[in-house]
Amino acid sequence: MEFSLTGITKRYGALYALRDFTLSADKRQIVGLLGQNGAGKTTTLNILTGYMPADAGTVMVGGYDMQKQPRDAKRLIGYLPERPPLYDEMTVKCYLRFVCELKEIKRHSIAAHTDEIAEKTGLKQVINRRISTLSKGYRQRLGIAQSLCGAPEILVLDEPTIGLDPRQVTEMRGLIRELGKTCTIIFSSHILSEVQQLCSRIIILHEGRKVFDEGSDAFGDFGGLTRLRAVIQKPASVLLPAIRSLDCVCRTETVSAFGDKTELILSVRSRNAPERALFTLLAGLDAPILALSPVRDALEEIFLNVTSGETSAGEDQPNDCHL
Amino acid sequence: MTAIYKREIRSFFLTPAGFVFIGVFTVIGGIMFYMVNLRSLSSDLLTFLGQMTFLWMLLSPVLTMRLLAEERQKQTDQLLLTSPVSLTGIILGKYLAAFTVLLAAVTLLQVYVGIILLYGRVYFLEWFIGMMGFILQGCAFIALDLFISGLMRNQVTAWVCAFGANMAMWVLDALAGSMNYLPAVRVFHFISLFKRYEPFLLGQLSFASILYNLCFVAFFLAAAVCHMESRRVKGVRV
Repeated sequence: MEFSLTGITKRYGALYALRDFTLSADKRQIVGLLGQNGAGKTTTLNILTGYMPADAGTVMVGGYDMQKQPRDAKRLIGYLPERPPLYDEMTVKCYLRFVCELKEIKRHSIAAHTDEIAEKTGLKQVINRRISTLSKGYRQRLGIAQSLCGAPEILVLDEPTIGLDPRQVTEMRGLIRELGKTCTIIFSSHILSEVQQLCSRIIILHEGRKVFDEGSDAFGDFGGLTRLRAVIQKPASVLLPAIRSLDCVCRTETVSAFGDKTELILSVRSRNAPERALFTLLAGLDAPILALSPVRDALEEIFLNVTSGETSAGEDQPNDCHL
Repeated sequence: MTAIYKREIRSFFLTPAGFVFIGVFTVIGGIMFYMVNLRSLSSDLLTFLGQMTFLWMLLSPVLTMRLLAEERQKQTDQLLLTSPVSLTGIILGKYLAAFTVLLAAVTLLQVYVGIILLYGRVYFLEWFIGMMGFILQGCAFIALDLFISGLMRNQVTAWVCAFGANMAMWVLDALAGSMNYLPAVRVFHFISLFKRYEPFLLGQLSFASILYNLCFVAFFLAAAVCHMESRRVKGVRV
């Protein structure tokens, strides 16, 4: 286990930023953290990196407790905050050297290490320039470069492509993909397609809670969360309580009800063979299935689904849908 | 800590702060030296040092104003706080860097000793004791102002507030002078950094004053660490 956050709760005054949040990641995983503004993404990353402590819960990094052994734990982490922490008056070279010294890298290997990082992040041509003269793209690269100092095993990136032009975004994604071959990466983003492209695992936060946590490779869609459109010959009042009792059903949405027919959209966990369970249940209820077809979920739909606060009109109450 | 110390030293001379401090200190010091010693043909360097103390009030905030306030403003504190460096290491690194610049400025004052030596006599032990008091007072002001810099997130506000706090230390003395209530006078004199400086200006090595100054420094550095930790715990960035 590369890192784990267990039962993390964080409050800012009366406001809960995170509630009983648990997350762990293995080696060489790229974990994407999604959520609306204020969902608790940055707080999660700040707690993981030791920038701030949690009110409750434990953070373990590479076997070290962040609270009890912060120095050892922090040595294993490289962090790029939302705004790269750069000192404008320094040159790129001096800055990287400073970060290496901060990370307690041996003096004799600093020069080679900074050269290697500059090469990897494409900073060679600006190595002697003052940071204040760098473009946004180079500043972001330097932000990544500083997070690589000390060869950390875990890279924590808070919205690494924010404010970059399309070309720079592509380059940055390439770099993250490359780094993901050697490090565990956790990064937050608002860009769903970016997360879809890069991550082997996606976590969605909503109001400080984890509402979605699945691998991206299982079904091609995200997390084996599938939506099924079903037309069933039975009134909704009879149908819904029975369907909700199924383990594989996360959410039910009534599209229409006409006569004794009900049209539903069901959010189901595809790995649990929901069609079979549904058929068995409805056969028992003497409720013929008139139509059943999958509505393949895009990540955006899942995101909107799991981050919708109160259920909107026409939507039934969800089951406890914390995947 | 060493990394932070080295960065701060470099930063003092990559930005105008270090040059402004040493430049203004030297120019005003030169004017003082001319007025107190050269014009009045006096070799009394302790009187000169006594006149110089107000410079700490004015210039110490120049050294400290960006040390912590700028880190907060530019959010570079995220780098420091997520690195394997303790909060004490961060504060000490910054304090020692400011202290080094202060020492560099004070070293330039030795030129005036040379000038006096050309035409008169210098009592070195007396001068050494006076310098010790002078440096200790500077150290105390830097510690106080560093703490204030940690409370602010804007450099100008940090300078103004630090200068205000330094003035308050001076006002304590004036207040004590105008009061008849003896216990209050004693308390004010006990706290006053200027009162603590007086024995040094008489050429007396006052261990009580040395101890007080060192405790003053330790108290405000510890307060800066505690404040930084409390902000970290609360998760307050700005």
